[in-house]
Amino acid sequence: MTVEQQTRFRTLKDIPTPDYMSPGGSLCAGCGGLLAVRLFHKVLGPNLVWVNAAGCLTVMVNYPYVPLKSNWLYTAFASAPAGAQGVRDAFDILIQKGKIPAEEDVKVVVLTGDGGAYDIGLQSTSGAMYRNLDFYYLCYDNQAYGNTGFQVSSATPIGSATATTPPTPSEPGGNMFKRKDLFEIWRAHKPPYIATLSSSFAVDFLRKVEKGSKMKGPKLFISLAGCPTGWGYDPRETIREEKLAVDTGIWPLKEAVNGEVKHTYLPRALKPVEEYLSTQARYEHLFRPTKRTEVIRMIQNDVNNYWKMVSKDENVEIRLVGE
Amino acid sequence: MMIRVRFHGRGGQGAKTASRILGTAAFNEGLNVQDSPVYGAERRGAPVAAFTRISDGEVLERGYVFDPDVVMVMDSTLLDNPTARPLDGIRRRGVLFVNSQTGSSFHGIQTARPDIRVATFDLTGEALSLVGKAVISSATAAAAARIIGLVTDGSLEKAIRSELEELGLNDELIEKNVTLGRKVFASLEPVELSTDEYFVRSGLVPFELIMGERTGTEEITSAGNSNAVKTGSWRIFKPIIDYNKCTACMVCFAYCPESALTLRGDYKPVIDEDNCKGCLICYRECPPKAITLEKEVREF
Ligand code: SF4
Ligand code: SF4
Ligand code: SF4
Repeated sequence: MTVEQQTRFRTLKDIPTPDYMSPGGSLCAGCGGLLAVRLFHKVLGPNLVWVNAAGCLTVMVNYPYVPLKSNWLYTAFASAPAGAQGVRDAFDILIQKGKIPAEEDVKVVVLTGDGGAYDIGLQSTSGAMYRNLDFYYLCYDNQAYGNTGFQVSSATPIGSATATTPPTPSEPGGNMFKRKDLFEIWRAHKPPYIATLSSSFAVDFLRKVEKGSKMKGPKLFISLAGCPTGWGYDPRETIREEKLAVDTGIWPLKEAVNGEVKHTYLPRALKPVEEYLSTQARYEHLFRPTKRTEVIRMIQNDVNNYWKMVSKDENVEIRLVGE
Repeated sequence: MMIRVRFHGRGGQGAKTASRILGTAAFNEGLNVQDSPVYGAERRGAPVAAFTRISDGEVLERGYVFDPDVVMVMDSTLLDNPTARPLDGIRRRGVLFVNSQTGSSFHGIQTARPDIRVATFDLTGEALSLVGKAVISSATAAAAARIIGLVTDGSLEKAIRSELEELGLNDELIEKNVTLGRKVFASLEPVELSTDEYFVRSGLVPFELIMGERTGTEEITSAGNSNAVKTGSWRIFKPIIDYNKCTACMVCFAYCPESALTLRGDYKPVIDEDNCKGCLICYRECPPKAITLEKEVREF
């Protein structure tokens, strides 16, 4: 079967029309994380329990006002996957004992930011994968601790200024640590499905969630989450920013089915990373007052090296920048 | 002598910075000052407040300013916002400043509190034309500085420069903000502040004026009830769909983070005006450019 035959999402017009969220939540206008949650929900349908680790998205709820029409459980930063285990087990036991009918079963989805996924909740995620928990895991990756004012996380890219890594005379480039490769950390656990997402490639996004939904066990997703407030761009640009991240090769769209990696979007020629970096205030110090060519080149080199590997592994030709 | 100024804005408008600029400007005049912000867990667009206390003696008070001499309302839709409650506690003969482009005299407020002096100016319009952004920290600070009358334009300018520099703004933006501050300062008049110690608790402000619609139990317990929040007041620009140009491509529908768009029978979108936050993603992404913008003008 071709990919097209396996999916109900062929074009943007196939996007499910029901919305399982109401407007009026408390998040920033133009929040990419919220858009990812909305699209994810559309694919999985109304019968969900979101198990939400502390972070930006927990603030969508401002008691007594809740945008979700589904269920929501708020956990501490580190423990969303443990919470998901509890919910899953409870439903399994209740159904087994005949206390609730099987059709009242729900899907259990962990919702967490990059702070929760890459740093604080990494061990409980690892534990849930180890126990082969049948759940979904959505990390909206805005690449810093957005909820508390954009402090550095281990998902913050090189060169990004954050509240805790401002450009200083001794560290003029901002954050100088590389992002953790969470995709590979997860893959080492051999879950049935992992994928990276971006709402700006909505059809790819919907298809991947659909594909994951057909598998049993841990299904994990990292969605890029354009963050106008933290990244410093006009809220209307969220889709453009995310798309640029993909087209420059900074945000690869890929999946791993039972550990086997495949890129779902192969840019034939990468755009220069500069095109992306120069649009966001978090990188402004790389351009003004003086251009930090060495940092920009370092970022470009990392991207080039990544896609060189992809070219080799997947046997495709990709035109890199400056080589 | 102590003057207490309370700023009410929406996250992103620059209320905190306004309180800082005012404080620094008064400090430049040799006065003792204190400033602080307060905000909840909400984001850009949600109500925030900030305070500046200015005195020729020591400032021994701390915390929230419950009894301001001057209230600076940076967005007129906050006037009846039940979280912000900017009218609470204004001292007798105090000043209420409203950033408003309607030229309204705020009759309802004047009837409830005839002692309050109301001043208005279109800070956002001025900021959009001089700076190109709807951020009004320096404009609001300039308005407050002029109203309290203790600060010269020189001290104000110096304060705008030093505070915005500290925030990392580039020189061009700082100069534009100085021009904006100067313009606002010159356009307003000082108000004689002879407020007395008597201050009004919220009870004296008519309940209807601050609460708007009531919220009932049913609303509180229903799922997806956040549309009762009516975040439409966060908008600066309103997107408007031209149905003759719209091709029902569903692009805007797919990309609206807020679920503020629903589809009609012909798959053309309808915007929930009560709740659309005005992020303008739909406007930016619409392929045939069937969406136009209109600046919000809100009457209170
Ligand atoms: S800070 Fe960023 S991620 Fe958090 S709500 Fe705002 S836009 Fe969304
Ligand atoms: S402006 Fe933003 S919130 Fe409003 S309808 Fe358009 S995309 Fe949705
Ligand atoms: S993006 Fe434009 S053309 Fe497409 S449905 Fe929306 S308004 Fe209509």
